[in-house]
Amino acid sequence: MPERYLARNSRTAWRVYDGEAVILLAEDSTLNTLNAVGTLIWEGADGKTPVSSLVGRICAEFDVEPAQAERDVTAFVDRLSQRGLLNVSALPHEGP
Amino acid sequence: MTRDRDVAQLVRDRYKGFVSSGTPEWRLEIDVGPVGGRRAHDDVRVSRDGVDARYTVNRADFAGTVDLSARRASVTLTDANEYSLDSFLRILYSLALVAAHGVIAHAASLVRNGRAHLFCGPSGSGKTTVARLSPDATLLSDELSIVRTADEHARCHGTPFWGELARAGEDRVATLGGIYFLHHGTRHALETVTPRQALERLLPNVLFFARDTDLTARVLDIAADLVEAVPCFDLSFRLDPGFWEVIDRA
Repeated sequence: MPERYLARNSRTAWRVYDGEAVILLAEDSTLNTLNAVGTLIWEGADGKTPVSSLVGRICAEFDVEPAQAERDVTAFVDRLSQRGLLNVSALPHEGP
Repeated sequence: MTRDRDVAQLVRDRYKGFVSSGTPEWRLEIDVGPVGGRRAHDDVRVSRDGVDARYTVNRADFAGTVDLSARRASVTLTDANEYSLDSFLRILYSLALVAAHGVIAHAASLVRNGRAHLFCGPSGSGKTTVARLSPDATLLSDELSIVRTADEHARCHGTPFWGELARAGEDRVATLGGIYFLHHGTRHALETVTPRQALERLLPNVLFFARDTDLTARVLDIAADLVEAVPCFDLSFRLDPGFWEVIDRA
């Protein structure tokens, strides 16, 4: 599978409590809450970290098989992209 | 301030418990006249107008500006009616409070034994019911309450905004002792919620209109400070005043 890079929508405000993120989207003030795995992906969505690296971290931290982690991450990223929270690109973000 | 006699009378009548003779912190000019646009009546648009901390506020029945830095606002109403002015003021409060580290939320608030209690929930959750079941408490509002945080404490302010009770709260402030998220039940029960759970329950009830990243971040910060400063609970209650006993025991 080709590499992908995730970037958080800059028009979000978010906080992490006990490993779980609470996210507000400025466009419509919708509220999203993420579990621990989702929060790991969200925090890693810096535009530079490849998805494969996030999958590796999930396998290491949550004792999940790589194939299952890959499927879960894909579904999660699709969901958050549809909600306008994540941007997905084939190239890493350049700049700071 | 206004040059329109009908508006002046409306303000005196509608907000009489909240009219003060002290030096105002804000200046609000109210006019009556035509407003542009063909917006639906409930379609509110709040947007930054290019200048920092200055917002335009538009709806079918009013058009206004809010300048948070200068603490000035102005609004033109299509006619001098209570509903339009009240709606604009709610939006003005939602913006001005962010600058004062506060929020206005869908919540009833009552003062009992010197401390304020905030009962939070959407329409139908029981805010007015709780107010009606509390004749011994001082009403701050049965619909929209103002909370401000400072130095890890929170204080609750009375507002002139009402729900089904059709009665304004008192213009006073009290230290906030607890936040209760309302649930109808068959018995009275209180369950502590974590700050994250509280934030999840509180945020959908915070009145907030501006689609602005900076303000959104500040609302999140204020709400987070609030749920960390004050004990938060899920409150199941039935239709009698016994819920105060479980609150007093908490």
